[in-house]
This record gives sequence, C-alpha cells and structure tokens, in this order.
Amino acid sequence: MGAAPQASADQRVAEFRRVFQRAEQEVARVIVGHQDVIRKLLTALFCGGHILIEGVPGLGKTLMCKTAADTLGLTFKRIQFTPDLMPSDIIGTQVLTEHDGKREFQFKPGPIFAHMVLGDEVNRATPKTQSAVLEAMEERQVTVFGVTYHLEPPYIVLATQNPIELEGTYPLPEAQMDRFLFKVIMNPPKPDELREILNRTTGSDRRKAEPIFKPQEAPAAIEALKELVRDVMVAEPLERYVIGIISACTPGSPGAVPEVSQYLRFGPSPRGAQAIILCSKVNALLAGRVSVSYEDIDDAIVPCLRHRLLRNFQAEAENVTTESILEQVQKRLKRPRA
Amino acid sequence: MPNPVETLVRTSRRIAQVTAARTLAYAILPALVAAALAASLRPLGHATWERWGYVLGAAQAAILADSLITVAIVALVAGAAFALREYQRARDFVAAAEKVDDAVGSHQQILTFATLADPAAPETAKAKRSPLFPLLWKSAASFLESFDPNRAFPLRLGRSITRSSVLAFVVALATALATFGLIHPPTPLEAQAARLREIANEIEKSSTSPDDLALATSVRDAADALENPNLPPEAKKQRLEQVMQQMASHADQKQGGGKEKGGGSGSGGSSKVAKGSGQPGQGAGTSNASGNNGGGGGSGQNQQAKGAGSNDNGNQGKDKQSIELQNEIAKAEAQLESEGAKSPNNGSGPGKDQTKEDNQQAGNKPNEKMAGNEPNPSQPGNLPKQGEGNRNLPQTGGNQQQAAKDQGSNMGDTHLGEFPTPVKTQRFLKPGEKGEALDIHDARYVMFRLPGATPVGPGGITVIDPNRAKASTPYVNAPLKETSNDAPPDERQLVPPRYRDLIH
Repeated sequence: MGAAPQASADQRVAEFRRVFQRAEQEVARVIVGHQDVIRKLLTALFCGGHILIEGVPGLGKTLMCKTAADTLGLTFKRIQFTPDLMPSDIIGTQVLTEHDGKREFQFKPGPIFAHMVLGDEVNRATPKTQSAVLEAMEERQVTVFGVTYHLEPPYIVLATQNPIELEGTYPLPEAQMDRFLFKVIMNPPKPDELREILNRTTGSDRRKAEPIFKPQEAPAAIEALKELVRDVMVAEPLERYVIGIISACTPGSPGAVPEVSQYLRFGPSPRGAQAIILCSKVNALLAGRVSVSYEDIDDAIVPCLRHRLLRNFQAEAENVTTESILEQVQKRLKRPRA
Repeated sequence: MPNPVETLVRTSRRIAQVTAARTLAYAILPALVAAALAASLRPLGHATWERWGYVLGAAQAAILADSLITVAIVALVAGAAFALREYQRARDFVAAAEKVDDAVGSHQQILTFATLADPAAPETAKAKRSPLFPLLWKSAASFLESFDPNRAFPLRLGRSITRSSVLAFVVALATALATFGLIHPPTPLEAQAARLREIANEIEKSSTSPDDLALATSVRDAADALENPNLPPEAKKQRLEQVMQQMASHADQKQGGGKEKGGGSGSGGSSKVAKGSGQPGQGAGTSNASGNNGGGGGSGQNQQAKGAGSNDNGNQGKDKQSIELQNEIAKAEAQLESEGAKSPNNGSGPGKDQTKEDNQQAGNKPNEKMAGNEPNPSQPGNLPKQGEGNRNLPQTGGNQQQAAKDQGSNMGDTHLGEFPTPVKTQRFLKPGEKGEALDIHDARYVMFRLPGATPVGPGGITVIDPNRAKASTPYVNAPLKETSNDAPPDERQLVPPRYRDLIH
C-alpha cells in the first residue's frame, strides 16, 4: 500500500469528477434545464449503458445528445426511425465496388457505427429494425453477411420515444426495454427556462460547447473513466439492499410488497440490479466517495427500474404508474443491517 | 492517523460490552427485588398481614423466601447467560462498523471498509480488493481520527432498568399474590408461638446476661417447635416443659428472697404460683393455686412465679416478662394437651389442616369445671370465674376467635378451645304452652298492630272499626306507662291520640 497507488487513485477519482462536471456544464451551456436528464445521459455513458429518453418533440433531445458528443469528443450519428426504415439502413450493407478492375463487395457501415447514436422516435420503426439496433446495443457488434463488425467503444445509444403519437407506432417490447440502462422523462421547460431558451435560440448569441477531450483521445479517456466506475466498492449489506429492492418489485416473490402483487405482471430482471449498482457507483464518485451509499442507491432506483416493471390491466385502468409503485417499494423497504 | 481497523475492533468490543451490560441490567432489578423481598419477608409481615390478624406459617415463609432467592439467582444466571450471548453476538466487526457509520455519518464508507478489511475475512477476499481501497482506508481513517468508542457508545442503563422494572413489578406482584394465598388466620399454636417469639425478643432486648440470651434462644426454639408440623404433640409438649423448667430456674435465680414456692394441690399435678407482694421488705408472697385445664389432667404443670426483687425495677420488668412467658407456655401446653387428647393417633400429621382442626376442637369443648383447676381471675390470660347464676346464660360466639373478641384483653385464650354448651334460656311461651312464668324486666317496647285503613264516621270523625281483627286467645291489655316529658326520649311511649282508644 504505497503512496503511489493512492495518489493515482486520487487522481483518477478527481479526474472523473472533473470530466463529468465539466461535461455537465458544457452541455448546460447549450441546453437549458434538464440537468437531471443530462446527468443521466452522462451516467449511462460512463456506466456503459444506453438510455431511453421519453418526451414530446421539440424539447432538445437531439441537441442534447449532439452537444454531449461534441463535448466529450465522440462521434455522433442520428437515425430517424420511420416505418420503412430497414435494418441495413442502420447497420450498413455490402456494396459492390470496383477497385483496380476487380469487383468486390465492400461493407459500408451504417449510422450505428458511431460512439453516440441517437435513435429518434425509435418506436416508429418496425420490430425487425428495432431488433437490429437492440442487438447492436447489447452485443456491441453487428454481423453482416457472416462478417462480424465490432462497434468501437465507448458506445451508447440514445433512443427517444414520443409518448403522444401512438398511431402507426410499434412500442418497444418489454424485453427490449430491459436493454436500456435508464429511462428518463423529459418534461416541458418551466417558464423561466423557456424564456432562456428563447433568448439563446432566437438571438445572435449562439453558444457552443467546448470539447473536453480531443477526438483521438476521447475513447481511451472515457474507457478509463468507465473502468474507474467499476472499481467503486459496494458493501455486502448494500448489495443485499439492492437485491431486496428487486425482490420487492417482483410479483410472487417472498419480499414483494402488496402494491407490486396488485399492479404488476412482471418485475425487473437482473439487469435492473446491475443498472442500480452501476448508477450508484457513478453517484458515489460524483459525491467524492469510492464506495456506494444507500442514498446513491435510492437515487438510482426510479430511473433504473421504471421501464422494467410491467403493469397489469388493473394498474393501467387505475392509472397507477410504475413510479408510484417504486415509491411505495422504497417506503416499505427497510435497509438491511449488517 | 489511527488504524481504522484497530479503532473498529475497539468499537466492536465496546458495543459488545455495552450490549451485555444492558442485557444484564434487565435481570438485575428483578433479582434485587426478589432478594429484597426474601430478606424482608418477616418485617413485611409485621407491617402488613400480622397487623391484620393473619400469619404466614414458618414453613410457608421459608418456602416463599427460598423461592424468591431462587428467582433472584435464576434471574441473575439467566441475565448473565443472555449477556454473554449478546456479547458474543455484538462482537461483530461489520455490525460495529455500521453503527460507527451511523454515528459519524460517513455514508457507508466505514461499513464498506469494514466488509473489505474484516480481520475475520479470508485472505482471498482481501486479495480481491479494489484498487480504490487505499482511498477508502484513508477516508475511513479520517472519519475515525477523532472517534472515541466510549463517548460514542456510552453505558446508559436507565432505559434497560426502566424496562426491567416491569419484570420487577411482576416479581413483586407474584410474591404478593403468593403471600396472600399463603397467609391465614393464626391457629392457636401459631398465635402462641408468635407470642413466645415476642417475649423472646423482649428478653433479648433487656438482657443483661448470657443466661437471658440463652433463655430467649430456648424460648424461640420452643416457638419454632410449636409450629413444626412434623413434630408430634408429645414432643412439642416435652419441648415446652423443658422451657418451663428453664424459666422456673431462671426465675428462681432472679427472684432470690422474694420467691416462695407454695404447695398447691391440683388434681393433675402441682400448679404453683408464687406471687410476691413487691413491697420493700416483704418477702412473703401469697401462694395461689392456679391450674389450667390439662385435658387429661395428667401432667399440667403450671408454675408461675411473679414478683421478685422488691426494689429492682429492671428485675420487675424481666419478671413480668417471665410471668407472661410462663403464661404463654402454659397455654400452649394446654393447647397441645387438648390437641393430643382429641387426636385419635395422638399425633398430628404434616398434611393436617391445623386451623380447621383447632376450630373444630374449639366448638366441641364444653366449658367444664374441673376440680382443683379453677382459673384465677387475677392472673393474666385467665377468664374470671363465672358465678353460678351466670352459668345458664348463653355464651356468645361459636368459635374461639369470637370468644377472644368478647373477652377483651385476654383474647379469650383461657378458653383453650373449649366452649360452653347452649343452655335453656327464657323465652315466650306459645299459646297453650305451659311453663315457668317469665321474669321480664324493663320491657321497653310494645308491639301493636295498626289497622289497614282508618275508618271515618260521619263528620270526618275517626271511629272504631267494627271489623277490626280480634285476638283468638284471651289477653289482657296492660296499661302503658304514663308518658312523661321528663323521661328520656328513648323511654317515651308516644302513641298518637287517635290510636289511644284502640289500645286502652
């Protein structure tokens, strides 16, 4: 236990906080409000997960993602999902090319080959196309004509959903929803925020985010910070707390709370517990700690689990939201003692 | 900077000690209460049930005291066992870290540190520590730098003791209930034994010599023997006789020249009381034959020595005690004799209900006059001899307790369980019955019957009801005594004027 590793760990933690906070600030220079969404976006990036953003059009979802990519020096691609969008339009395809008199098929990568991919209105594409994206999200690789192409890390998909136009859409299956680390809700701006948006977007003063990393350094730097997140420690009682939360949200399990048994068909998968732990670790680092606390976990429960709970008919009829069920779970669940 | 592991080890030890002490505190108060009750059973008895006329038998008191001491010991042992168990449970490194974490508000950093640095954890777990562990160590050490386990976890027993007071109350309540279940009105023997003990105490208090103390001890032993259910009445009697002899010899030594032994003649044996006059220079005492009913009349020895040193007031007090003691012993002996006479096997088994037996004896014993055994009214504890004219008067009460109340200060003990049989009393004769003329004196009330409704004649005048009830047997109306305002109110026979015609 020498001084050198301590200093190195100190520096790594300090670097993480500096990068994260700087990224938040740079995105906030462009995006008014939505600090929580920005934080979750960056958290998902450093956790190595993907994020589903739900909000009405015009709230700045695309701008937020592009600004975040610019700030971190990552490549950014946007896919507008439409019903006639084909998987090859996303993944890429083999094209016949002629080179030195020889014709050959050459893989032309689709827009999915980027560090940050924004899938706008992902629920408008057919399930087949959605599956192509979701496979890439999980495997971080695509296979075209038997050839596998790895997606360069860091890789994050930011999918958006429009909650109001349901006609002609293909809502994401619950199994697909489970692949997103977070689901965040973008609410309409408050009056003060709207005024600020107007000032920024209709005047001559156009703000632009400053990049933190150079594009060639960014992937490695971000991957190092992602490793740091995984080094954050979690005590065994806190792990049991997370397990208790998952059990409490699973209908039919011994620890299920009454609201869960009444209103849910299915509970979260183990991915939900992974998401909570990872998000908690980022929260701990942001708080200057190298170990997770109960507050970090509590802060991660709703965004990590809200899209993993499948409501039953009664819940939909009574307009019981997953957020309210999770709130009840948090109220009823006691923190385990060592 | 302190080693956080050592601090946590010290903290876990401190928490374990505090937990064990709190657990033990739950048992201490009930144990103390039980022990105190066991120790103060006799003073409590003096202050409560003995004042109310009840006694707790010696054997039952011993059982109760033993039970209370057992409860105290069991409570202490159980408390110690639980405390030991809690100590072992509380000596948990991680659990202690969690409490420290709550105390210092480190957001589970110390808890996480403890899970990774637990000395009891295997080395393989330590090898898997995160590269960030040194930072966690540093952070934990900074939190624990000024942490004092003794100050953070003080030994506060108030809450435990307050909670254990419920248990203590339960012990006290159970003791009270058991005591009230065991106490009973004293049997004659128990009353005698209690009285003997009081006298023994008085002798001890005013003792000036080892002989007095020995006598007091002997008297107390005799009292114990009286209450011992395992002893047969003969043995009890023998024990009492020994005490009486000791008393007599003791009184002889004390009295010197003022003592005179008179030769009395009793049917069952010699019963001698030497009564000194108590005046200076008067050595001659009057001899008074006094005998108590000996049941079988065989061996009733009642030697009462009274009045000894002429000018010595202290000796007078002692002699008075001695006399009282001898009286009590004599009563107890008589009781034993009567008990022995009644008992078919001449012994009392340990399972017998002594009280019931004595009461039955008391109700069956006639107040017979025994030749040569006339009680002396001047002697304490003896009923005055009733005259012949009073012999036919009905005796009050059906048992000795009631008789004791009626007899005043002597508590009726001279009955010694004997009660007079009912005799014929004067009563009014039924119509047609023949008998002796009644000798009624000072009749104070006249009974008469009021008509159901007052008949009213013409003009609103009250008239005699021709249909009034008439006596079927001849009678003579005796004139009422003239009413006089001079007579006391309760002597006036006030009859309303409208009824006077009916009467006269």
